[in-house]
Amino acid sequence: MQGIHGSRMSLLSFYSRNSQEVLGLVGQHLYLVAISTGAAIVVGVPLGILLTRRPTWRGPVLGVANVFQTVPSLALFGFLIPLPFIGGIGATTAIVALVLYALLPIVRNTYEGVAGVDPAVREAGRGMGMTDWQLLTQVEFPLGFGVILAGVRVATVVSIGTATIAAAIGAGGLGVYIFRGVAVVDDTLILAGALPAALMALAADGLLGVAERRFAWRRK
Amino acid sequence: MSPHPLSPSPFGRGGPPGRPRWSLGLVVLLLTGCGQRDRIVVGSKNFTESDLLGEIVAQQIERRTALPVGRRFHLGGTFVCHQAITSGQIDLYVEYTGTAYTAVLKHAPVADRDSVYGAVARDYAERFGLVWGKPFGFDNTFAITVRQRDATRYGLKRISDLAPLASRWKAGFGYEFLERADGFRGLANAYGLRFAAPPTAMDLGLTYRALAEGKVDVIAGNSTDGQIQALDLVVLEDDRHYFPPYEAAPVIRQVAVTRHPDIAVALAQLGGKMSDAEMRRLNALADVEHRDIATIARDWLRVNVP
Repeated sequence: MQGIHGSRMSLLSFYSRNSQEVLGLVGQHLYLVAISTGAAIVVGVPLGILLTRRPTWRGPVLGVANVFQTVPSLALFGFLIPLPFIGGIGATTAIVALVLYALLPIVRNTYEGVAGVDPAVREAGRGMGMTDWQLLTQVEFPLGFGVILAGVRVATVVSIGTATIAAAIGAGGLGVYIFRGVAVVDDTLILAGALPAALMALAADGLLGVAERRFAWRRK
Repeated sequence: MSPHPLSPSPFGRGGPPGRPRWSLGLVVLLLTGCGQRDRIVVGSKNFTESDLLGEIVAQQIERRTALPVGRRFHLGGTFVCHQAITSGQIDLYVEYTGTAYTAVLKHAPVADRDSVYGAVARDYAERFGLVWGKPFGFDNTFAITVRQRDATRYGLKRISDLAPLASRWKAGFGYEFLERADGFRGLANAYGLRFAAPPTAMDLGLTYRALAEGKVDVIAGNSTDGQIQALDLVVLEDDRHYFPPYEAAPVIRQVAVTRHPDIAVALAQLGGKMSDAEMRRLNALADVEHRDIATIARDWLRVNVP
């Protein structure tokens, strides 16, 4: 380690020397996480709700979402490269992979949140003559929202970490420093990518945690 | 599959956590193993050829000595192997002279075969207490690779033929090639390559697929990769001799050789036994025909080192 690295610099001087590049990569990273988590919410929340209406689909759908969690990212990229529209190299492929990885916590928590509403409350709603849509939008979804938000929180925090793999498919992001650092074993480079990603994850966790608590408070 | 298989990256999706009983066994194994080091641990880098050579070396030691051999294969690349061997985590792995010369020792690239081997062997002994064994006999150089279709259409044979086309072409390279002293920057200078956009930085294993699928037009693979023929790709000749020689040879800790001199004897029998074509054939057996690495190594040893 000592022997193979002549010129190493501190993290601070690295950042001051490469501030433009760092900001660019942080921006790319945020973009990847925002788009992919957003898409995972748009797909995952309705899917989770659908599962509460079609209980027999629950096993297969969650099973598939589980399987995506276990596919190594590089293997997934390999499969995606030849596909039109959602494949190729660059941000699109990375976002597709990140969406697939983010689906499980969102679908599962949406299902749990909505299905976990106290049956007595649901019965009361039905007793008042609510339609299924009214029951969903006025009772189940608001009551399950805290749990759904918790799923979004997990998905976001995990995506911030996972988005570093986007660098393997030419999509940039903070993983670029990590990959470069691993290729030449330069701890400074690895930290230059890992540290902002960790801070970003902590910040997202904190912010979404506040939202979750605020919501729980309002419900009481 | 790719010669640098699509493995889970260290920061990608991890595998499932080990079962408790397993880890307990591992702990016991480690504790007892650390007591006396009567075991040789062979490492390899994270691509097929390195795994194959690691397995050949491991089996050769098993055949010729009474030592138990541990295998720590598919470690994360040159620097992880270097760290592992200098810290004593592994005793032995197969390295390439040009890689050691430029990437580990940080010398400027030189194209003279003998001087590179000599310098590497001397510096490794002095600085790291590591001994270089006899080279296997083949040269695995960086292979600037294009699709056969393009090579025919534009009459591409040598890397210098690329220069006039580069401004319209897209390149995709692995991070190691982009960062190394004997990598892209030097190559671009030596050949005056100016691509339309900066090369796409991506995982090395994915570059072959990206090239075959037409997502990029030129990549830097390895000349002994079985993938090149399988995907109908062509390697361009390094006509300005930019790349140093990359002869593969076992690198072993001096301590291990001193304690078990019969290892050196076993390794010496492998010297000069593997040609470029033979290495390519073995890589293809593993990557294209998906044959088991241990079997390929066993068959090769039976025929070539009886």
